[in-house]
Amino acid sequence: MAEFLQALTQGLLIGSTYGLLALGMGLVYGVSGVVNFAHGDFIALGMFMCLALYSALSLDPYVSIIITVPVMMGIGALVYRYLLRPMVGYKFLMIVQLTLGLSLVLQNGILMVFGGQPARTPSAVESKLWILGEVVMRVPHVIAFVVSFALAIGLYVMLRSTDFGRSIRAVHQNAHAASLMGIDVGRVQVLTFALGIGILAIAAALLLPGTPIQPTMGLRYTVITLLVVVLGGMTNFVGIMLGGLVIGISEAFGTIYLSDILGMLLPYGIFVLIMLFRPQGLTWGAAR
Amino acid sequence: MLEIEHLVTGYGGVPVLQDVSLTLAAGEIVGLLGANNAGKTTLINSLSGVYAPMSGRILFEGADVTALTPRERVELGIVQVPEGRLVFPDMSVRENLLLGGINRRARPGRARQMEHVLELFPRMKERLSQDAGTLSGGEQQMLAIGRALMAEARILMLDEPSLGLSPLFVQYIFGIIDKLHAEGLTILLVEQNLNLTLRHAQRCYVLERGRVAIEGPADAIKNDPRTRSAYLGL
Repeated sequence: MAEFLQALTQGLLIGSTYGLLALGMGLVYGVSGVVNFAHGDFIALGMFMCLALYSALSLDPYVSIIITVPVMMGIGALVYRYLLRPMVGYKFLMIVQLTLGLSLVLQNGILMVFGGQPARTPSAVESKLWILGEVVMRVPHVIAFVVSFALAIGLYVMLRSTDFGRSIRAVHQNAHAASLMGIDVGRVQVLTFALGIGILAIAAALLLPGTPIQPTMGLRYTVITLLVVVLGGMTNFVGIMLGGLVIGISEAFGTIYLSDILGMLLPYGIFVLIMLFRPQGLTWGAAR
Repeated sequence: MLEIEHLVTGYGGVPVLQDVSLTLAAGEIVGLLGANNAGKTTLINSLSGVYAPMSGRILFEGADVTALTPRERVELGIVQVPEGRLVFPDMSVRENLLLGGINRRARPGRARQMEHVLELFPRMKERLSQDAGTLSGGEQQMLAIGRALMAEARILMLDEPSLGLSPLFVQYIFGIIDKLHAEGLTILLVEQNLNLTLRHAQRCYVLERGRVAIEGPADAIKNDPRTRSAYLGL
């Protein structure tokens, strides 16, 4: 029983951050039809930026986001404006190829600057534990959970009740009609992409404590994010957060109950099972 | 108020509108008639800035607006109610109306404008929190017009407002159009329905294969034998 609770808690904590990662991708897909295969590499970039800031200024990763978020948002805006926007409207595969290329550029760029040895970025709370009955929680995981859910709720409120949020939803539902309202569709797409990348900068700091980092680690996050977005039905807000929890929990159960390699496979197995029975994802038409 | 001079617009190098000239005086209601594929929707979308013209000019109150983006034109008050209504289906009536008034010029007065629109369409008031996708066709047309009015339109361009509506709703919608005209709004009415348009418009243009075939007061158009032939494509 203790083991079960432990796995469930750990899965929920980490799954919330997976949900957050996927929300960024879902928003971008919703307004511009772009699926960014360099998603995870931007997370890696955010993590290495934290490492650089620690080496240079001994900043804690949680403090570094003050710098990494605006920088990454700027990079995101430039990437969308000058690389992706010219491709929107062409074949979907061209965008896939372009973002895969971007992924290689980011990986090798990080490799050139930081080298290939696994590195770590220490944080003040890294080894702190929080014990609740029989369940042991790592404090960074608790922080990740709280921040991820707070951001998800913030995003939801933003989408529902601000002009910018309504513009995003309008572009998603009918871009032509949105432009007839006087909404600058291109601008909404650039800002949404920048927002998505900014979220990744925060997620990078949340995932960083205790994680050894290396330039090629991004692919794993890209794959997890894709699983979650597809589970969530691509653009369904609640579905995506739920998808994050499902993948997080199956990963935790896999590593606790099964042997190493087999355990790593569990999230993918569960993903395939869900897709077999609910190809439209975990949605029931709510909250777009 | 609005002048179109020798406009040529097309897609992929093939002109759809060929040398179209048209004027619209302040407070006027002008009908734009024509069969399917005559270029009516292309003309309206050119005025909204969706397509860049191949040649020709568009003047609004004497200023050249040909190169302006769709957003800049909405800010000037050139607003269209698109064919097929195109309301945002997964957003409430209220959110649709708010989006209508999202442009920089209309935003400060949105609350007041919303009251005005809800007075005009009491039925929208009852459905404020309902998703637009669940409204009937006629109600969606009301919402689409209300949404355009939220933009503080100075020229309202209506693309096929009678399309797919029951006769009762058509009557209602044209009653609203007359009312807006009486309030002093300048209106460009694009319609396939010949008799209906001739009853409500002061002047009309008949487009035929991308050119203005006939123009003049509604009465003259009604009695012009060429009108029927333009429609039948003879």
